[in-house]
Amino acid sequence: MKFAQICDLVDSAAAREIDHAGLVGTWLNSNPDTTGIARMSVQEVDGKLTLQTLATGPDALIDWGTAELQVYGSSPTSTTAAGFECRYDFGFAETLLQGMLLKGLMVLAQIHTFKDDSNRIPFFVREYFALEHGRF
Amino acid sequence: MNQTLDFKQNSHLEPALTDPATRTLNADQLIGRWVNTKSDTKGISEICIKHEGDEFLVNVKGANNDQLISWPKAQAKVLANLEEEAGQRAVALAATFNFDFMTAETYLRVNKGVLVIVLFNTFRDDSGRSNYVTREFFYRPR
Repeated sequence: MKFAQICDLVDSAAAREIDHAGLVGTWLNSNPDTTGIARMSVQEVDGKLTLQTLATGPDALIDWGTAELQVYGSSPTSTTAAGFECRYDFGFAETLLQGMLLKGLMVLAQIHTFKDDSNRIPFFVREYFALEHGRF
Repeated sequence: MNQTLDFKQNSHLEPALTDPATRTLNADQLIGRWVNTKSDTKGISEICIKHEGDEFLVNVKGANNDQLISWPKAQAKVLANLEEEAGQRAVALAATFNFDFMTAETYLRVNKGVLVIVLFNTFRDDSGRSNYVTREFFYRPR
């Protein structure tokens, strides 16, 4: 078994399925003054997870549409979702979203890369989201 | 000349994104050799970041029982990091390490003198290992 760090040298096993139930739901940005993503909705469709993203705009929220998520565990032997990754291609820009669960919070890294001639620098944002649970 | 910019969120219109100084803002905070704060880590033992011309090169060594494992060198993409805590604006880096059996997509940033790396590891072999995400912390040794 090839490995790049000793933690990846584990007992061989059949492909593990990752339980992604903990990612499903609506995630709200903890910062009400965000200039980025306001909320994300993770849904399961035919066994796969999709993400719908709503971001802040000058006048109203902007719907980015849906993207399919790639789910990640917390270790090579993990069977529980600890994060996800997805990509949006807007034509003039591409955005990579990388989410990581930490103590119930979703820490979302956004990497924005512009493909137009605006000379805007690629940039990174890290924000926190909480799952809307509706209990209180 | 005014240019109408495409955007998908308000931060796409941030004026600092067209300021050339933003591209290298506090980049020196990243440069140098970094050692994992966890002495018995089973992940990444050390990271070395170099700035050569317009490029940032990231060298990683993974933990092993005997000799550390050198990862393939990666040229990092420089990212403006505009919204760090307490207004600590500085660049961040995104680097992808490609192995024949695995890809590690990473982003690196400095927060209060600590280098933080987050890795999204995707296995491309038939080992059955789960793709996983992890985060590690590094300091500058004297």
